[in-house]
Amino acid sequence: MKQNTIFQAAAIVAAGIILALVANAFASRDRKVSLVGTYPNALKVPAREVPVAPVATPVTQTVATTTQPSTITVPPTATTSTQPTATAAIETVGINPKVKTPAAPAPTTTTAPTPHAPPPTPTREFNAHPDKPYIEIAYNDVKALHDKNVLFLDARRTSVYEQGHIPGARTYSVWESDIDDKVNKLFAERNDQAAQNLPIVIYCSGGDCEDSHMLAQKLWGIQFNNVYVYKDGFPDWQQHGAPVHTGANP
Amino acid sequence: MKRYLTHPWLTIRVQLALGAIFVIAAIPKIADPPSFAHMIYNYRLMPASLINLSALVMPWVELLAGLALILGVWKKAARNVIGVLLAVFIIAISINLFRDNAIDCGCFNVADRGKTHEQRIFDMKVDVVRDLGMLLMVAQLWWAAKREQDESSRASTAQTGVSVPH
Repeated sequence: MKQNTIFQAAAIVAAGIILALVANAFASRDRKVSLVGTYPNALKVPAREVPVAPVATPVTQTVATTTQPSTITVPPTATTSTQPTATAAIETVGINPKVKTPAAPAPTTTTAPTPHAPPPTPTREFNAHPDKPYIEIAYNDVKALHDKNVLFLDARRTSVYEQGHIPGARTYSVWESDIDDKVNKLFAERNDQAAQNLPIVIYCSGGDCEDSHMLAQKLWGIQFNNVYVYKDGFPDWQQHGAPVHTGANP
Repeated sequence: MKRYLTHPWLTIRVQLALGAIFVIAAIPKIADPPSFAHMIYNYRLMPASLINLSALVMPWVELLAGLALILGVWKKAARNVIGVLLAVFIIAISINLFRDNAIDCGCFNVADRGKTHEQRIFDMKVDVVRDLGMLLMVAQLWWAAKREQDESSRASTAQTGVSVPH
């Protein structure tokens, strides 16, 4: 009798495993998970396994500043360029290094910032920091980087991203099965040392949300050396009245 | 008292209620495994490599066990599975309460509800009490089944005693 109960309980668990695997196989992209999770512990950063290469010396000649000391060539995003291969030199606030960017398809145009809003003053320079996986920054720095068309990654779930996100941000949910593909694609886009030293801003829901820290660690693990985490996340962005874009496109 | 607590009238209702609770709890997790994986990660108890597999399998086991209780199929096995799951949930939440790691339990809802630390800690205490209540329901089912088994074995012994010729 007891053996029979154990067998039945095992059958329930086995049926659960089979149904779970079948359901996952047919799940949509944002509902699917990879069978083996690889989640870095956002609170304990492991030592980097790959030796860190020295930070690249600025290589481009594009300088378009008026009063600011340095410039940056950013990856093609919402408003920088209409040609995928073009690079755009823009005025900036101490962002290094100055580099050429690899070719990448330009995302669609998004909501423009409020024209009369005074530009926020950044509190720091945005140099590469290969010794740290990420640096936490607040709204003023985030807005300054956003205005310079730096790459933004949204680490929240795709469904949440579609309800509203920072204009130009790409969806990179660490909980969805295609995150490694997306990270690999980004690595392919920025496949040289200089490009990997360009700033990247990652955000999630603020508060105790660690998704952005986890994604930052993933990127740091493959040599992205200039990653920033928007510590207060999207709710803070909304509170400041900054522009928001809805839908599946950046 | 013992007779009332193990009465079939109560037992069938406990069985149906427990089954329904587990079916209802399983559906949002089945619908959104990545969010449930996130919830499991927040507990910080499981190796990263097992988080996704648990997030996939656990809701289906809950669903099947709940359905088995509702349909009255493999009742004892389903009751035992649910008992083990509840014990795991209680231990997991209690460990995090002890650590002061405020989490959403992910029991019935896997969406991030943006609660404060204090709200989460309070909810975790409520969750432990609720799960203990459900564990009592499992105990009632176990007790009723045991009593039923004892009575049927006594009846068969008595019947055997009468029928056996001297």
